[in-house]
Parts: sequence; C-alpha cells; structure tokens
Amino acid sequence: MDTNNKIADEELRAQVRSWLGENWTQAKAASLKQHQPLWGASDELKSWLAEVVSARWAAPRWPTEWFGRDLSNKQAKIIEAEFAAVRAPGTGQDRTNLWANTLLAGGTEVLKSKLIGPLLQGEVNMCLLYSEPNAGSDLAGIRTRADRQEDHYVVNGQKVWTSGAMTADYGMLIARTDWDVPKHQGISYFYCPMKQEGIEVRPLRQITNESQFNEVFITDALIPAENLLGNFNQGWQMLQTALAYERLIMGEGARGPRSGGNKKAKNVEVLIALAREAGVLEQPKLRQDIAQMIAYKKLNALNGARGKADISQGASSSLMSLGKLAMSRILHEEARLRTEILGPGSLFEGSDYSDAENANFLTFQAYLTSIGGGTDQIQRNIIGERVLGLPKEPEVDKKIPFREVRAS
Amino acid sequence: MNKLSLEERVALRDSVHQLLTNECDESAVRTTMETTSGFDPVLWNKLAEMGIVGLIINEDQGGAGVGPIELETVMEEVGAALLCSPLLASGVLAAELLNALQNDDVSSQLLPAIADGSCIATAALTGQSGCWTEGGVTVSAKGNTNEWLLSGSASYVLHGQNANVLLVAASTSDGLSMFVVEAEADGLSISGLPTFDHTLRLAEISFDKVAAERITTQRPVWDAVIQALDITLVALAGEQAGAAEHCLAATVDYAKTRIQFGRAIGSFQAIKHMAADLLLETESSISAARHAAACLADGTDDATEAVSLAAFACADTFVSTAATSVQMYGGIAFTWEHPAHLYLRRARADAQLFGSSSFYRERFIQQLEA
Repeated sequence: MDTNNKIADEELRAQVRSWLGENWTQAKAASLKQHQPLWGASDELKSWLAEVVSARWAAPRWPTEWFGRDLSNKQAKIIEAEFAAVRAPGTGQDRTNLWANTLLAGGTEVLKSKLIGPLLQGEVNMCLLYSEPNAGSDLAGIRTRADRQEDHYVVNGQKVWTSGAMTADYGMLIARTDWDVPKHQGISYFYCPMKQEGIEVRPLRQITNESQFNEVFITDALIPAENLLGNFNQGWQMLQTALAYERLIMGEGARGPRSGGNKKAKNVEVLIALAREAGVLEQPKLRQDIAQMIAYKKLNALNGARGKADISQGASSSLMSLGKLAMSRILHEEARLRTEILGPGSLFEGSDYSDAENANFLTFQAYLTSIGGGTDQIQRNIIGERVLGLPKEPEVDKKIPFREVRAS
Repeated sequence: MNKLSLEERVALRDSVHQLLTNECDESAVRTTMETTSGFDPVLWNKLAEMGIVGLIINEDQGGAGVGPIELETVMEEVGAALLCSPLLASGVLAAELLNALQNDDVSSQLLPAIADGSCIATAALTGQSGCWTEGGVTVSAKGNTNEWLLSGSASYVLHGQNANVLLVAASTSDGLSMFVVEAEADGLSISGLPTFDHTLRLAEISFDKVAAERITTQRPVWDAVIQALDITLVALAGEQAGAAEHCLAATVDYAKTRIQFGRAIGSFQAIKHMAADLLLETESSISAARHAAACLADGTDDATEAVSLAAFACADTFVSTAATSVQMYGGIAFTWEHPAHLYLRRARADAQLFGSSSFYRERFIQQLEA
C-alpha cells in the first residue's frame, strides 16, 4: 500500500472528533432519541445517516468508490470509538449492516449503485426470505421457485418467520432455480422487491400470543435480472456469506421478561428475589435448583469472556459455538423455576399478575432460542462435526437431483 | 506472590505435560495405584525438583512463590494424567494452611521440607461425619503453653498414611487451634481406609493423648482453614476440569474410529449429541476453574462465590463426563482393562473429598443472597 495515503491514528481521531463536534449537536441527539419507530428509521435518523454517509464515516473499511475510506480494522475502530463516546449512530456499518454488506459482496453494479447508498442511509427497509414451512433446519430444501423469463425472474412459493415483512421494500430471497441438480446446487439468491402485487404478507400469531413474524405468500412476483446476487445457481454460497455477516452481528438475542419484572431485584439475582417474595427461598431443593440455574448463567458469561480473550490473542475459539445451547438451557430452566416459585399463582395472565405473565411468557419465549436460527439439535450436530470433528451423518438427499428428493 | 506471564505459564504446563506423558502413563498409574503408598517416590522427587510440590510456597521457604493461577494450570495436567501423589495433601492443603496461619517459626520449620518433597504433610480437619465446617472437628486438645495432648479422632485425611507431619485441627477450652503432630508420635494410630478409587489414599487417625505443638496465630483458626480449603478446591477444580476435558477428547477420538453398522459411531446423532453436550460442560468447567483461580489470586470480593461455583461445577462435570463416556464407549469400557473406569472412580472420589456439590451450591447461593 502507498504509505503516503495512510493517515496517522491521531490525525484520524482528531478529524472524527472535530467533525462530530461540528455536526452531532445536542438538538440532533435529543430528537433522534425521541423518535424511535419499531421498524425502520425515523426521518431524523435518516437525515443524520445521510450526513454520516456523505462524510464517509458510515463504512470506513469499504473502498472509496462505495462511500468508504479503505481503512484498516484498527483505524475503523478509532472512528467507532469516537462515535460511541458521544453516542452517535451510523458508523461501523461495514460490520453491522447485513443488507449493505451482502449486497456489496455479491450484487451487480446496477443494483449496488441503486441501493447501497440508500441502505446506508436507512432509506430502504429490508427483510429475510429464507425459511419455508418445509425448509426450516434443512434450509437447502427450499421449494420456492424462481424461473427466468426474459429480463426478469418469476417467483412462486411461500416464506415464513419473516420479521419486518410488512414495511420492507426488499427481501433477501433464496429460491430454487434448477430442480435437476442436487439440492445445494440449484439455489439462487435475490434482492426481491416487496411492494408488488405478487407478494402478500400475513402476520403470524406466535405461541406467546404476540406477532413479530410474518408469512409471505409469493405468487408470480417479479424480480429484475440485475437483482441476482452472486452467480446463478450458486445462491447457497451467497447465503453462507450473508449468514456469516448475520452471525457476526447477532449478539445474544434472548429477551427478558415482558413487563418490568426485574425491577424488584436491583442487585440480587431475580430468582432469589422472587423466591424470597413468595416465601419459598428456604426450601432446600429450590435453593439448589436456583443456585444451579444462576451457575449456568455465570458459566455461560465466563465461557463468552474466555472465548473473546482467545480470539483477541489470535486463536480461534470453539467456545462461541456453545453459547446457543447454554442459553437455551438457561432460558427454559429459568422459566421452569419462575413457575415453580409461583406454584398455582402461575395460572393467571394479565397485567394484575405480572409475575405469572413473566413466568408464562418466558416459558414459551424460550423456544425462540432453542428452535430459532436452527434447533438445538442442529446446533449439536454442528458442534459435533465442526468443533469435535466427528463424521457427518450420511445424507440421503445430497447427491441426487432435487426433483427426486423426498418431501413431507 | 508472583504471577507468571502467559508464555511462562504455557511453558510450565508443557513441562508438566511432558513429565507426566513420560512417567505417568496409564500403565504407570495402574502400577502405582496398587502399591501400598499409592504414589511413586521417584516421580514425586521429579515433581519436587521441577518446583511443582512447592509451587505455592514462598521463595524464601524454598518454594516457587506463585499462586492459584499457576497451580490451577498444573492441576489440569495432573487431572488429565490421573497422577497418583500427595501433591494436593502436602503441596497445596498443608502448605497453604501453614501460609495462612502466618506463624513464621512453624513455617520455616516445615515449608522448606514440604517444598523439596522430603516431608509429606497433610491436614486432619474433619471427623467421621466428613463435614467440612468447624463443627465437624472431633479432636480435642488439653494442655498449657508448653504441653498439649490431643485426643479423639479424625477421618478422610488425605494421604494420612504417607504423612510425616500432620496439621491437626482440635478444639480447646478457648476455641479451635491448629497443632503440629509428628507421624511417629506415641498414642497416634493411623489406618489407611479402603477407597474405591485406587488412585486415592485416605486415612483415619485416632489420638490417645498425643503430644502436639500448638501453632499460635493472630488469625481466627477456621478462617485460615477456609483459606487453605479454598485454594485446595481451586486445585481440585483444575484437576477435575483437566480430567473431564481429557475424558471427552479420548471418547471423541474413539467415536471417530469405532465402526458399527458400516459407519463410525460418532456419525450417529445419538453419540454426537452426547459429545456436544459434554463439550459445553467441560468448557464451562475450565472457565469456572480458571476464573476461581484468578479471583483467588487477585483477592476479589467475589472470590468465595467463584470458588464455590468452581467446586460444584467442576465436580459435577467430571462425574457426568466420565460417566457418560462409559456409555459412549459401550462394552469395551465395562472392562477393568479400559481406562474409563479409572477416571469415573477419580471423578466420584474427587466429588466428595472436601464436601459435596450440594454443600457448595448452598455456599454459592448464600454468597448471592448476601
């Protein structure tokens, strides 16, 4: 690299700091904090992001032709640290913006020119069109089809577990484009326009009685040919790239109780506080179970810290693959103990019964972690095969044309 | 107390690993465990020469002068190799008890010989109840400043039959005290107990007016005992975590090569899922043991909580890993010749040595309630 183009760390830090000093005013910060819609970006956020993008702070690791600065990871972190210090959003999108990263990695020049800027500026809402009713853990078994007709693709099928589908402008879609090759080899990856007649979005009512996900019914929807990401029929590889970004971004996704049930326990573990309040904290069996449950939580945190330390010393760490299994057990066990503490008090629902609400909500919500993003059983396969190096189960559908694969 | 750098700790670990690979393989363990003493004096001397026996003894007393972090590192290797030795009794429990009592005269009289391995010391702290609290002490002492006589009994004394010197907790008219007793003293009767873990040595000791030297100290005596037990628990946790990790790795290796139904048994999800679950447990136990060691070394406020967590998490993990590995191996592990039962025996013994998992879960929740 031409050293003349390199900027010194301190000079960069001074530049960011002075830019933020001039542009990130208290009024802007306050108005951003005030307007936080559930989905998508507020107008206030969009206009701030536009400033960040045009000053080239949004994705500093990226090449200059795509709003970036070609900076090293280390220098990009300097920028992120300065933004974080004043709580300004918008930088680090070269790490955190799933949509823009995936598009940059695999998009056509036409599509990149059209969407990368708007994506960085929060102008485009997105969703994921991966899972199907018959392709959950076995994602490569998708049956939504995309057929090429002249300068576009015609799509038919059904997607599920789609969050944000109601407001999305585009969905990142995988669809089958060749039925005569084995299952991983006939999939393509698209940016699918959502605001069109062939797309119908219906909210799903979940086990918790909430609705965060949708079903998407696709009937003769059209996708322009230039919206293909990666190569035709090589969508599985493109998906791996996108999933890698997604894993990088996803931290611990588990939610706490529905209402502010943790307030009663400022510095004490919540289960201890709940058991004390219910007058059952002295029951020996319950004490052992609560201690064990808190131990699981602490051990998971210690594993996470050790994994991060390994990685920061340049070693790879198998510890990161264990977090999901650990968290599933923690959430199910916490819900079980909350229920046990309440006894018959767990029978009720509604705002007058917030402890019961929490216990019951968490009991059902725990499955989001143990099923979502691949079931715990799939995760155990992954740990067994990729971490411990155990041989794979023979796959009966891997080498035959997808057309001949047995379906439920 | 000194702390080794990461590189130095890796080197320490490697040299212990090398020594144990050479001198403490499975056949050596099987030979040693059937001897009367239950340890190999030649290997013991080598461990002492390497500074392992005196690891946590101060440099001016002939030790290496390091702390719980280094000790835990060494113990992971000790556990993996199933070392048979009085290391935990002499170099850890007795040594730290003397450190904790802060009596310079007694320390300089005993610690150098403990560090160089020539003196094997142990602590007699509990009686038949096996209860590791002050109330568990069943030896009493009568006497005055110059002459003390001990009566009563102690049990579960680690390597009591191999000890030259005993540190004995005994109640006196003004509270608990620690005493030094020579193994040859009149009125002392030490009998080895038959343990199902053949790599372990435990003794029962009866005292009939045995002459003893009182260790005077400024500290409440049971506080010193707890300090010694805490570092012993961290060492034991390291042993358990290292042994559990070894059990899993050996079982996984076997599952890759054992063929049934035309495929390696490790390709079956029934086996794979057991292994994945055990990996979560073994990695958690290593995190717990190392964290407890770091907390003790730094004297953090939550050190007791961290030690309690490591005590039950590592004990339970070693037992479940060793037990599940037998199931994963299948028939081959139901034989005496296969090493799986040696680990399961050590695991079940380690889980009881200084109190059960339930005891430490209770201590853990009491810390959190406070």
